[in-house]
Amino acid sequence: MKKLLITMTVNDEQFDLMVRPNETLTETLRERLGLTGVKEGCAEGVCGACAVLMDQHPVRACLTLSMEADGTSITTIEGLASDGKLHHLQESFINHGAVQCGFCTPGMIMVSKALLDEKPSPTDDEIKEALSGNLCRCTGYKKILEAVRSTTQIDPKKGA
Amino acid sequence: MRLPAFDYYSPTSIENAIQIKNEFGGSAVILAGGTDLIVNLKNRVIAPSVVISLKNLRELRKIDLAGDSLVIGAGASLSQVACNENVQRHFPILVDAIKHIGAPSIQRHRGSIGGNLCLNPRCLFYNQSFFWRKGKGSCLRTGGKTCLALEKAESCQAICSADTAPVIVALSGQLTIVGRAGSRSCSAQEFFTGKGETPFNLGPDEILTEIRIPIPWAPISSSYKRLSYRSAIDFPVINAACVATFEQEKIFRFRLVVSAAGPAPITLKDLESTFIGREPSQELFSEAEQAAVRAVEGIVVDNSIASKQYRVKMAGVMARRVTQSALTASRR
Ligand SMILES: Cc1cc2nc3c(=O)[nH]c(=O)nc-3n(C[C@H](O)[C@H](O)[C@H](O)COP(=O)(O)OP(=O)(O)OC[C@H]3O[C@@H](n4cnc5c(N)ncnc54)[C@H](O)[C@@H]3O)c2cc1C
Ligand code: FES
Ligand code: FES
Repeated sequence: MKKLLITMTVNDEQFDLMVRPNETLTETLRERLGLTGVKEGCAEGVCGACAVLMDQHPVRACLTLSMEADGTSITTIEGLASDGKLHHLQESFINHGAVQCGFCTPGMIMVSKALLDEKPSPTDDEIKEALSGNLCRCTGYKKILEAVRSTTQIDPKKGA
Repeated sequence: MRLPAFDYYSPTSIENAIQIKNEFGGSAVILAGGTDLIVNLKNRVIAPSVVISLKNLRELRKIDLAGDSLVIGAGASLSQVACNENVQRHFPILVDAIKHIGAPSIQRHRGSIGGNLCLNPRCLFYNQSFFWRKGKGSCLRTGGKTCLALEKAESCQAICSADTAPVIVALSGQLTIVGRAGSRSCSAQEFFTGKGETPFNLGPDEILTEIRIPIPWAPISSSYKRLSYRSAIDFPVINAACVATFEQEKIFRFRLVVSAAGPAPITLKDLESTFIGREPSQELFSEAEQAAVRAVEGIVVDNSIASKQYRVKMAGVMARRVTQSALTASRR
């Protein structure tokens, strides 16, 4: 099982990496690149804590071989803040108390970002559907939904 | 959880993929989206020496109309299929089934339609960690001599849990399979062998390349429903698909498929003739329910999170619901 070379862009920076064929994207991002915002909860696709964006789409890093990420562009939670300023989704999660232990938060935010990039004004049902693959054991989802909703372009006074 | 060691290939042509598959036979597995395969590798239920990725096979991702069929490449992602104009226009039932799969952030972009059809059948005693299984002992599929779910079983009783399986069978899909000897076609129903150890009609050198669904010449009414404990991140407890066409308000063609009951989707063949020429009625829906219960009774075993009795009863309920919904829905 010899190591193989992959090239991927992670948070706008290009990396050439030698990875084991059986290495998951979670391992590569956390252990080789130090991006520990990628959480490993269940490691079997259930919880969503490891969600990252691959070419803008949410994927499970724990179910993705790093070999499959060759040539793609990956965004992790570390790639959202710029110039020392948090992304508005991150701000909103803090302001709404949508973060308790914080373990699910990177995954929740990455999946929400993918949704909002594609659809800036989603309905509540669309937000719920998008986040249906992410589990939170602390906040009970209501605050997470509110946090995402408040960043959408829907005027809350007028409703959706 | 770490993955076991394996060698990795990402061939750039189908011929090359077949060559590698042929060379390593049963010890090579295909990786499409990996959303089923990687979990099974982590749980050590399968231990291949080679993984062949389909990522470079663009030709497997095409969705085209060809003659009177819609041809969907096995490697097309679930979102690609669900968003395709022709799929939406001709087969909204397939879009519906895809929407039920897991959760958008798990499969929609990584999961493929071919991977869904080839989803490893599931069992309460099989889809578990290595540690868990060590306590219980091996089963027919992991090198043991008995089925842990049904003592006297001759073959593995694991459950076909794919959402699209009953739908593709109900739509009379034809699958194209390519191997060393060339390409062959197989009906979706025949693709499922009914044996959990070797669930698919696929040789060690073969891969699934396309799903061909005949475009109906008359508007079809269809319905897919599934019962599951959670609406997301969960496999079906029972699912069912019904497809029908009408002629002057009378049923002209009818097909009802119940799945997640045993290793293969179950087509209720008898109804295909007895329902012809009849009009939708409560009586008809009840007949569908009873037929489904009869068909699954000898098949369902206690190997799911739901009890055997419950699954048998629900097979009837889901059969009734899809029949009623398909036969009373507007036609397209
Ligand atoms: C948390 C979770 C929830 C899930 N919920 C559901 C659900 O509700 N419904 C459901 O149906 N599925 C569910 N799945 C299973 C899986 O994600 C889907 O079935 C998905 O469509 C599989 O596609 P894939 O491309 O990822 O398959 P892969 O994992 O790549 O492959 C699956 C199997 O098919 C074989 N294979 C793939 N492509 C081919 C081919 N072209 N030729 C021959 N063999 C091939 C592989 O070798 C493997 O054995 C769930 C999975 C997880 C982790
Ligand atoms: S760690 Fe990947 S989904 Fe739970
Ligand atoms: S904040 Fe703790 S899991 Fe969500």
